Order: sequence, then C-alpha cells, then structure tokens
Amino acid sequence: MEEKQLSEKESMFIIQQMINRAKDVFVDTGIGPILWGVVITICSLVQFLQIHFDFRLPFDIWLLALFAIIPQIFISIKERRERKAKGWDQDIMGYVWICFGVGIFVVNFINNVAAYQLNPLLSEYSKLAGKTDVINFWTFGTCYLLLIFGYPTIVTGASRKFKLMIFGGIFCWISAIISAFTVAKIDFLLMALSATLAWLIPGIILRRNYLLQKEQHV
Amino acid sequence: MFKELDPILHSQLRLAVMSLLIGVKEAEFTFIKEKTGSTAGNLSVQISKLKEAGYVDVTKQFKDNYPLTICKITPKGVASFETYVKALQTYLPK
Repeated sequence: MEEKQLSEKESMFIIQQMINRAKDVFVDTGIGPILWGVVITICSLVQFLQIHFDFRLPFDIWLLALFAIIPQIFISIKERRERKAKGWDQDIMGYVWICFGVGIFVVNFINNVAAYQLNPLLSEYSKLAGKTDVINFWTFGTCYLLLIFGYPTIVTGASRKFKLMIFGGIFCWISAIISAFTVAKIDFLLMALSATLAWLIPGIILRRNYLLQKEQHV
Repeated sequence: MFKELDPILHSQLRLAVMSLLIGVKEAEFTFIKEKTGSTAGNLSVQISKLKEAGYVDVTKQFKDNYPLTICKITPKGVASFETYVKALQTYLPK
C-alpha cells in the first residue's frame, strides 16, 4: 500500500475494507469447544451407563473433567501466543468463561453439601414410609449445572454471531427445565446431548472453518 | 457544507492503519503489515506519524527473544477517526 492522497470514495472504501479484514482476528480454532464437548459428553454417558447397568467404575469419571483443565490451559496459552491482534471482546469473553468455571465449581460444591445433608434424610424417610420411589437430591443437581452451561455458550455464540452455539445454549436451558422432572439417569443423557449440541458440534464446525481459512492463507 | 478532512488521516496507509486498529483492541506490527499489504519501512514511518499526532500508542516488547511492536488506538485517535468519518460523509452523495 502506497502513501498517497485519496479521494473521498477511496477513503470510504479503505475504511470498509480494513474493518472487514480486522474481523479475521476473531477466528476460533475450535479446539476448546471440541475438548469440553467430548469430555462432558463422555462423562455424562458413562454416568448414565453406570446408573442404567448398575455398575461402578473404580474411579469417579468426572475426574476426567478436572484433568481436562490441564490441556485447556496449554491450548489457551498457545492460542494467545499465536494471536497477532486482540479483539475488543476478548478479555470479556475470557472473564465469562472463568466465571463459568468458578460457577460450575461452586454449584458442584453446594450440590455435594446439599446431597450429603439431604440424601440420608430422604433415605431414612424411604425406609420409614416403605416407599421405594423416593427421590434423591442428585435428581435436581444437574438442573443447575445445565443452567450454568447455557450462559457462556449463549454469550459466546452471540459475540461470534454463531447461531448454532446460541441454539446449543438455549438447548442447555431447556434441558435444565426438563431435567427437573426426570430421574437422574435421564438427566445425564440430557447433559450429554446438551454438551454435544452446545460445544462439540459447534466446535467441529469452528475447527473446519479455521482449517479452511488457514489453507486459503497458505 | 463540506467539512475539512483531518490531513493526518486523509492518507491511504495511515487511514488503513487507523481503520484496522479501530476494529481491534491492539495489534502487532506484523498483523498490520500483513493486512495493509505495506512494506515494513513505510508502515513504520506512518505509524510514527500517527503516534506523534497522539492517535496510536506504540509499545515495544520481546516475544521469544524477538522484538515485538504492539499498536493500539488512543481515545484521541478514536475521536479523530469518528470526526473524519463524519466529515467524509458530507462529501459523499446521499
């Protein structure tokens, strides 16, 4: 690009052209959504199978979600290093997902405390009343998690103008409502479906678009 | 009535740099060079002029032992860019 005086039309053209080129900054590699989509879907499905076939793994399958934080940290560092420009909403989106992580931890903590206090009472009541269909606290535990899944997904989808992700987030909220009326086993199926729709499928699409764009630039 | 156009912005490369920086929070020199298709020397001169005018902030860092120049539009730069676009609109047919 040469340094020269411009006509007004040329000025307008340059402004539009550069603003469009700046949009390339927001390209998502899709690895993060794929990672979390796969991890949460697997954990939920294994949990469903454990309840359905009445077996227990020698370890808690949800530890997988805890360990997934490690590759996520490396992915975030790598993406940050490779990025040559920073978008206006990048910091905000970072905070949104940190709040999500903290929110999940807090809800899980509260759920565990509530389950520890309430489940023995419910079990006692079940024995005294001679009822076998008394609910367990965990029947409601997934509702709150699904509700939290929805928030950052919708915000990210809206920020990236990615309708499929917005739809995935809304599906998480619908699942949260449905799971209030279903048994824990079905709740985990809903969670698997929500993670697939909110993160895994959008992540695969983002990844495909990213690779296509990368190919065009080579 | 036609408004006067800011001479700092009314030049091809400087306007391209400002238009690019208005869309991002900050950008590396190499990113601006790649998007504007300019030469490093020319871009460096034009960025210096924008910096002198107080329209951009330039910070120099090191990344993997290589120098890294980061450019960021200033509030004064944003205001000037907005004024420039408004003035430009008076020249264009409605």
